[in-house]
Amino acid sequence: MALAQRRIGAIFVAGFALLALAGARTLYLGTLHGGALRRAARTQQLTYEPVPAQRGTISDRNGIDLAVSEPAQDIAVTPYLVKEPLAAARRLAPLLGQPQDAVLRKLSQRSGFVYLARALPARQAKGVLALKIPGISGTPVMRRVYPRGQLAAQVLGVVGAQGNGLAGLEYSRDSLLHGRTGERRVVSDAIGQPVSINEVKPEGRGTSISLTLDANVQQRAEEVLGAVGRVFSPKDATAIVMDPRSGTILAMANWPTFDANDPGHTSPEALENRAVSLDYEPGSTFKAITVAGALQTGLITPNSGFSVPDQIHVADRTIHDDTEHPQESLSAAQILARSSNVGAIEIGMLEGAPRFSEWVRQFGFGARTGVELPGEEMGMVLPLKHYSGSSMGNLPIGQGQLVTPLQMASAYAAIANGGILRPARIVRSVGGDLLPEPAGRRVISPATAAALRQMLEGVLAPGGTASEVSLPGYQLAGKTGTASKIDPATHQYSKTAFIASFMGFAPAAHPKLLCAVVVDEPQAGSIYGGTVAAPAFGQIMAFALPYLGIPPG
Amino acid sequence: MTPPAAAAPAVQPRRVGAGSRLAPGVRPPRRVSGPARRPAPGRAAQRLQRHGGLLLELLSALERLSGHRLIDRLIRGRAWLVLITFALIGIVTLQLALLKLNGAVGRTLQREAVLQRENASLSIENSELAAANRVQARAAQLGMEFTSSSALRFLAADPGVDLKRAAAALRASGTGSEEAQAGRTAAAASSSSAGAGPGHTEAGEATGSGSGAAGSEAGSQAGSGASSTQASRASGEAATPQAAPSPAPSGSAPASSAGGTQASPNG
Repeated sequence: MALAQRRIGAIFVAGFALLALAGARTLYLGTLHGGALRRAARTQQLTYEPVPAQRGTISDRNGIDLAVSEPAQDIAVTPYLVKEPLAAARRLAPLLGQPQDAVLRKLSQRSGFVYLARALPARQAKGVLALKIPGISGTPVMRRVYPRGQLAAQVLGVVGAQGNGLAGLEYSRDSLLHGRTGERRVVSDAIGQPVSINEVKPEGRGTSISLTLDANVQQRAEEVLGAVGRVFSPKDATAIVMDPRSGTILAMANWPTFDANDPGHTSPEALENRAVSLDYEPGSTFKAITVAGALQTGLITPNSGFSVPDQIHVADRTIHDDTEHPQESLSAAQILARSSNVGAIEIGMLEGAPRFSEWVRQFGFGARTGVELPGEEMGMVLPLKHYSGSSMGNLPIGQGQLVTPLQMASAYAAIANGGILRPARIVRSVGGDLLPEPAGRRVISPATAAALRQMLEGVLAPGGTASEVSLPGYQLAGKTGTASKIDPATHQYSKTAFIASFMGFAPAAHPKLLCAVVVDEPQAGSIYGGTVAAPAFGQIMAFALPYLGIPPG
Repeated sequence: MTPPAAAAPAVQPRRVGAGSRLAPGVRPPRRVSGPARRPAPGRAAQRLQRHGGLLLELLSALERLSGHRLIDRLIRGRAWLVLITFALIGIVTLQLALLKLNGAVGRTLQREAVLQRENASLSIENSELAAANRVQARAAQLGMEFTSSSALRFLAADPGVDLKRAAAALRASGTGSEEAQAGRTAAAASSSSAGAGPGHTEAGEATGSGSGAAGSEAGSQAGSGASSTQASRASGEAATPQAAPSPAPSGSAPASSAGGTQASPNG
């Protein structure tokens, strides 16, 4: 019994001693060494990971993705921690897709933090981090990819390194597309496996946007503009394809263009969406607006006769027709078809400055169209009170005022759709919800619009300024324009710099498709709207009309 | 030096109560006449009393339970050991399960990231594959030819002739084999196109005007500027367009026409 008691006592003493030891050790670890251990645990076990929000997708009307975000990582290095920079550079270079010497230069910098690569695709980044080179770390980010490269690059815009939109729709719709970055608390075990994951801040995905653009029409428009660029070497060019009935934009092409995946290697001019940012004097394409006003007011009919000499004096100015000709009698329709400057001025003067000025405003000039694109110019329209004696000598023929290609396209859409001016639209739906079609306002009567459409058919008929453009089965209508540009040196109209344009639609009787082409300073070969822009119009329409299932007529 | 106990001054024990003696000069409080008042219990005291009562009841219940014969037998018996062991194993298992769950959450998140990446890659690939240039190139590989728009002709609908032709085609299909039918259809189509001037169809493929909607969709999906798309797009309409052999080399249409068309220099 005594032995048993002694043994129990011994076990008790041993147990107590062990307990005391454990207590002492706990005290040591918890108090004396606690701070350091807590810090070590925090760095080894506990991490707060940012969860980058996936930026919303931008797709065309058929669901073809034009801008997509994919997971990526920013790869950074603390050069001080890299023990063998040369060996590390040799292993890293192929994975980073950079020359070995460039990687070595970064690894050898005397700095605490250097980016080796920004937004490296996740698969490559995984390979880099799998090398387990000390000092190399990755930060998850999202990478913006434009699968079609150059397609609609100016419309889509670009995204910066921080994931913010810098141009185009990426910029104007950034608040929708961007989403919200989240944060995750991860506790890992000794071998780095997560044992506890808590969502500190939930990540919010960006909203996707569907455009009214059709990728195939857009591509064809860009190809045609590319051909115009190669043949005529202009400063730049733009084309808009639109459904005049609703104002929806099916294509908005620019030349020169750039690869949206590599915007760093392009000129700032190429980033511009000239369809909305180019202020230009429209020239003869504006004559349709002059005639529309006179028709609607009842001052003329398509058959009203005018005695047209080859030049006219307005105040201190003399305005000529393009070619010399004897005085002739032309109908209003013929004036439009032959694009007579003198005839258009006569119609404008018949209308009078106040009414003309009012019609210019009615067709939406001098105001933004309201399209959801950034950087839209509003043109420059002379207020009536600033009209001089010679204003009516150049305004009716589209000189002396600035418009944008989209304003012109919208005005022609009003003529094509029976007289209703609708705001152009390029965003079809946001987050899957279709946006309502904006309401339009009536500018001219359906009868006036129909009469004008018939008059514009004459431009593409024999004797018209674009008579060589035709499409089998389709009746086309439109208007050519060749406008002199102001020489910045002399502040006079240049004799060498012009803007060639064409605004047209088809089928002429019941238009379902409109195309506007504006070529800035064509150089080689020709300068005229009928020879530079109209054929491009024909080519785009030749593809788009059958492609969109528009019946001939 | 500590003084002896006897030398220490005697300390008068203080007694509390009615009979306690007060220090000289301290007067006891005057008694107020009337019945003695009970001190009213405060709210805190009431709460304490109520809670205290509950606590006491709970304790007594526990005591009763611990003193229960069954519990007593359980604690003194081997079943207690089994119960404790089972509970401990349960706790450990629960902890392990929790760890596993957390691990699974981690793996799921990693899987989500991988899927997200793959989804983005597939989306990009899909967009690239649908590019018109690629479709056109692939079509060319398969022996298809790009038909320029100028080669398209449209046939005006003629109810009288079309009905007779359709009836003839149906009769032919009822009697002949499929090959023969195809040959006759092609022959009929080519004969009709031979006499067709501008505005009539060069009917080479006989896609069938009734399949217009389907053709339209297919054309839309294919999304290229291939002639088949153009033809099928318009085939659902009143007039039946057909592709004729292209006079221009494929793909050269934009360039050639942009530079080639000459209009009178005006406007």
